[in-house]
Order: sequence, then structure tokens, then C-alpha cells
Amino acid sequence: MMLWRQFAMEWRLYRRDRVAMFWTFAFPVVLLLGFGTIFRDGGGPKLSVVRVQAPAPGPQDTALDQALVDVQLKVQALPKTEAEARWSRGETAAQLETDGAGYRLRLNSYLMAQAGATAGLVNQAWLMAQARLNGSPEPQRIPVSVESPGHKHSANYAAFLLPGLLGLNLVSMGLFSVGMVNVSYREKGKFRRLAVTPLPKWIFLLGQVLHRLTVTVVQAAILLLVGRLVFGIENQGSFVDLFLIMTLGTGCFMAFGFALSGFAETSEGYAAISNLVFFPLMLLSGVYFTLDSAPAWLQHAVAMAPLAPFLRALRAVFNDGGSLAGHGAGLAIVAAWGLAAFALAVRRFRWA
Amino acid sequence: MTGSALQIRGLRKAFPKVVAVDGVDLDVARGEVFGLLGPNGAGKTTTLEIIEGLTTADAGDIEILGLTWAERGQEIRARIGVQLQSTSLFNKITPREALDLYGSYYPKRRSTSELLDLVQLQEKADAYHITLSGGQQQRLALALALVNDPELVFLDEPTTGLDPQARRSLWDVVRRMKAEGRTVMLTTHYMDEAEALCDRLAIMDHGKVIATGTPASLISDLAIPSVVELTFEGDAPEPAAFAARLEQAVERRADLWEIPTPDPKALLPRLLEAAESAAVPFQQVHIRRATLEDVFLHRTGRSLRE
Ligand SMILES: Nc1ncnc2c1ncn2[C@@H]1O[C@H](COP(=O)(O)OP(=O)(O)O)[C@@H](O)[C@H]1O
Ligand SMILES: [Mg+2]
Repeated sequence: MMLWRQFAMEWRLYRRDRVAMFWTFAFPVVLLLGFGTIFRDGGGPKLSVVRVQAPAPGPQDTALDQALVDVQLKVQALPKTEAEARWSRGETAAQLETDGAGYRLRLNSYLMAQAGATAGLVNQAWLMAQARLNGSPEPQRIPVSVESPGHKHSANYAAFLLPGLLGLNLVSMGLFSVGMVNVSYREKGKFRRLAVTPLPKWIFLLGQVLHRLTVTVVQAAILLLVGRLVFGIENQGSFVDLFLIMTLGTGCFMAFGFALSGFAETSEGYAAISNLVFFPLMLLSGVYFTLDSAPAWLQHAVAMAPLAPFLRALRAVFNDGGSLAGHGAGLAIVAAWGLAAFALAVRRFRWA
Repeated sequence: MTGSALQIRGLRKAFPKVVAVDGVDLDVARGEVFGLLGPNGAGKTTTLEIIEGLTTADAGDIEILGLTWAERGQEIRARIGVQLQSTSLFNKITPREALDLYGSYYPKRRSTSELLDLVQLQEKADAYHITLSGGQQQRLALALALVNDPELVFLDEPTTGLDPQARRSLWDVVRRMKAEGRTVMLTTHYMDEAEALCDRLAIMDHGKVIATGTPASLISDLAIPSVVELTFEGDAPEPAAFAARLEQAVERRADLWEIPTPDPKALLPRLLEAAESAAVPFQQVHIRRATLEDVFLHRTGRSLRE
């Protein structure tokens, strides 16, 4: 009864906090809609190349253009000025233009994953076009397709991003909704005011934890719903696995917040500490992009931090319909962080 | 309602850099308003928080309503009311919600509307806490200290930072508490507040109780119950030479000289004559009764307000 009252009051006050509501519920959706839409084509089912239109197309150009289509490239033919403008905006991964009697292919150094694959296809098309012009037999080519590892999604960026956001939500819930709030309660004396009443402190904390848990569930449900309605993203794995891994992550990052709050005296101090943890985790753990091109030592370090293995397992289930069984090592890392944080929280947590 | 509400013996608490409470003995009787008067840093809050069970003492014995923290902590919590030096609530909780919520923590509780009446917050009952004035927030904190119908109420600097009118309305609430038969222990660094509200006082300085008694007895125990003041335009001059001539202690305080005396009638002619012949450029003469301020000054050589 006391617990229910405490829990209900947390929700009532939370609903009045517009800023927290925005960051918790709306912001992840905005990110998903925004990035999911912007990068819709970039990682789409087809690799694409921008073809700068030749001023006076000869038979060679016609043959090459046909071959580009035959190797399954998406070709966007643009006049020179338009193509250049698009290139300088950074939207083009690969741009093919006539250069004297031959051709030139420019690859965007920021989009090497798409550009590299596209380059391979363009060269295949060129060999094919030459053979056709010469009347010699066409070279055999190996067909290329772009797919998600589990063959379930068509490599949609939104599908990659959504599990990343689910994980990021857990981290910010732990670090900010739990850790930051506890530091400010301690700093402002809210814990002390409670301590002079007969309310057992564990009821207060449990009410808070239950509230954060339900917030997390609602938050995840909203993201999943938007992902499904707008981008057609569905959970490819079992919902039991999804639930288990989300529970593990929630426990781990909530313990993180409790532990970290024991290391700061003031809200300002806590903001510094938590951002020091939050930003590297967010940027390096594969929330928004993979770290394939980072140095090996960094990839190893990130693989030992809690978020990256969590996201790897989450994506294996959610995107690729895999089971958790194959991710024992990664899940063990997450669980170990969670247990270490919990032990630290028990030692360091202070009411005053 | 007779007997002891609070009995404290040999209370001591040292922080790394300072001994905040240094051997304090106190007795508070049931039904009285007891004040701890002292300047900032005297150890009032630390003393109160030890009694309230928020801070553990290094040494000393405390008996609250006949109970001890070690044996009956939960019962003590249920029977006391506490207003901390600063009460922090959620910005967007309303007084009604706060009173309902805190009331729900106790086995015995007063109705929310009765409490809102008591502290005159009916009109603001459904306004967010952050929109209340300082005085209204302080009255809410008082009401929160009363949700459990407590026998013993602790108020830490209940009027600090309030304007005079808000202070008066808070004093009324404290008087009401006494009329309802509650025991009240409050801290303050305002001597007028101590005089106006408290049945008995302990004056604290540097962690020690330097005097205890009723406000009237503390003042009359001073051998010098009156003070003659000479006021100047601008800062008062250095009084040493004049004090020697008058053969009487003279204190300089900003724009006036204070001359404590047991017998102002005898002092006055001598004083005026001496001032005349020394050409002291004073503007006015006042004679006033000594106050708790003078008691503190006399005992410590310092002013309360410093
Ligand atoms: N938590 C603490 N840590 C260290 N010193 C403290 C702490 N609390 C109070 N003090 C010191 O103890 C002394 C008494 O403080 P306090 O009880 O707050 O005085 P008062 O309430 O009379 O102003 C002061 O010197 C203060 O700096
Ligand atoms: Mg104080």
C-alpha cells in the first residue's frame, strides 16, 4: 500500500515534468524518425552510384550505362552541376564521370562502406560493357546482394538504429533518471526529510525503481510501435529473448546509476562524472554506427564495456532473429558490469 | 502533560575541522516552547539533528518522550514533528498532495484541510510548490511537521529569510502549537524571536550552552539591566578616552555608543556633563532595557549578529 502510493506519486509528479517527458519519450522517437528517414536510401537494398551525364554520349557510354543497371546498381543520372552540388553536400557515396576517352570514379571517404562495394560493381559493369562493345564473350560475374545478417531486414538504417536507441535509453535512464536524481535528492536534503518520518527508506527507493522500470517499458513500447508503423521494423526474434535481454540491460544500467551517484557530492560534480561515462559509451558502442574502421585496440576496449556487447546481442535477437545462446560471452560481460556496479552501489550509496 | 519531553546529557559531536557540539546538557519540559539561540555556526542545527536521529553523536545520552533512539527509533519518528533548516520538496507538488503524502507515512495523522487551515494555505492548496512565496513555503514546511499530530516539534530557524509580516504569521502558528499542548523546540539567531516565542532558552556559542533560563531571568540576571545609548551622525568615534573619563565601560556599535548600567538615573547627569566638557558630538540619548542581545554580548564579548 505504501509502496503503491509512493509509486503512484512518482508517476504523477513525473507527468508534470515536461522536460523529462520530452527527453524520455519524444526524443528517441524524433531520433528514429529523423535518422531513419535521412539515411533511408544510403543503406537501402540497392547500392547506388551517381552518373554524371556525358555531354555527348557515345556507344561506349550507352553500353556502360546499360551494364551498370545489369549489375543491379541503382543509377542516378545527373547533369554535371547538379551532381557536383550533391557531391559537395556529402550525400553521394560514389560518383562516376566521363574523363577524356575513359572514366573516373570518385568515392566519398566518409561513406566507404557503400562506396567500396559500389566501386566493385562499377568495375564489373565496365568489364561487361567492354566485352559487349568488342563482341567478345561476357565475363562471368558473381551476383552481389545487400542484406541484414539474419536475412530478415533489407538493411534499413532505422532497423539498425532502433535497438541502438533502446540500449541508449537504458543508459540514460540509469545515469540520469536514477543517478542524477539521487544525487540531487541527497544534495537538497529530500532524503533527510524522509529519514525523520517512519517511512522505511527501502519503500521509497523501491517506488522510485519501479517507476523507472515502467517508464522504460513504456519508452521501449513507443519506439517499437513507431518503428513498426513507420518503417515496418519488427522483432525478428523471440519476445522472451527480447524481454530477458532488456531486463538484464535495465538491471545493469540502473545499478550503474546508483553506483555512480555515490561518487559525487553535488549535482554539478555528478553531471561531469556521468557525461564522462555517457558520451564515450554512446559514441563508441555502436548505437548509431559500427566501429569497423576504428583501431583494433579501441574495438577491443569497447567490446569489454557494457553497452556494445548488450547491443550486439540485442540486434542479434531483434534484427536477425537469433537466439541469446550464441551471445553468452557478451551477456556475461554485461552481467559482470551489472554485478560490479550493484556491489559498488551497496558500498557507496549514501542518504546524506 | 507534565514531566520531561527531552533530556540531554553530555552531547558531543566533532567534525574533522570543528567541534560542533561540545558537551551540551538540556532539559525541555512538556508543553513548553524551548529556544536554542546563537549565532551562525554555534552548533544549533547539529544539536537538533542529533536529537532528531539524523546525525549520530560522538558521545552523550538523549531521552525523547522517555524513549531512546537505540531502542524505540520508529516510535520516536512517529511521535515527533520535524522542520529541517531547509525543506526541499518537488517543484511541482502541491501543498495538498505533499500533506497527503507525508501524512500517509504515519500511523496517526491530522486531516489535510485542517492543516491547510492552520497555516492559512487554503487558497494555495493546489498551487505548485515552486510558485509559493518564501513565507508560504515555510508555512507548508511547518504544516508538514504537524501531519502526524506530534507531541514534540522541532523547528530549525523557522523564520530565517522571511519578511517581518511572514515572520509574525509564523509566530502565530508556533503559539497555536503551544496552545494545542505540544512541546516545541526551535532554533533562531533572532533575539526578538527568542524573546517573543520562547518560555525558556539556551544560549549557544561555539558548541557550548553558555546560559539557560527564561528570557526575563536571563536579562535580569545581567547585573546591568539598562543601556544608555548615545547616537551619532555617521560612525561613532573611538570611545576609549571618554570611557576612562567616565570611569564606565563604553561599547562602540556602528553609529552609537552603548553604556550598560545598573542605574541609568544616576549615570545620566554625569554622562551628559562629561559629554559636554569633552565636546562629544552626539545627536541623541536613549535609555533602553537590556535585551538578550546584551546578554550574549556580555557573556561572549561578541554580538549575535556577527
Ligand atoms: N556535515 C558537516 N561537516 C563538517 N562540519 C560541519 C557539518 N555540519 C556542521 N558543521 C560545522 O559545525 C559547526 C556548527 O554548525 P551548525 O550546527 O550548522 O550551526 P548553526 O545551526 O548554529 O548555525 C559549524 O562550524 C559548521 O561549519
Ligand atoms: Mg543552523
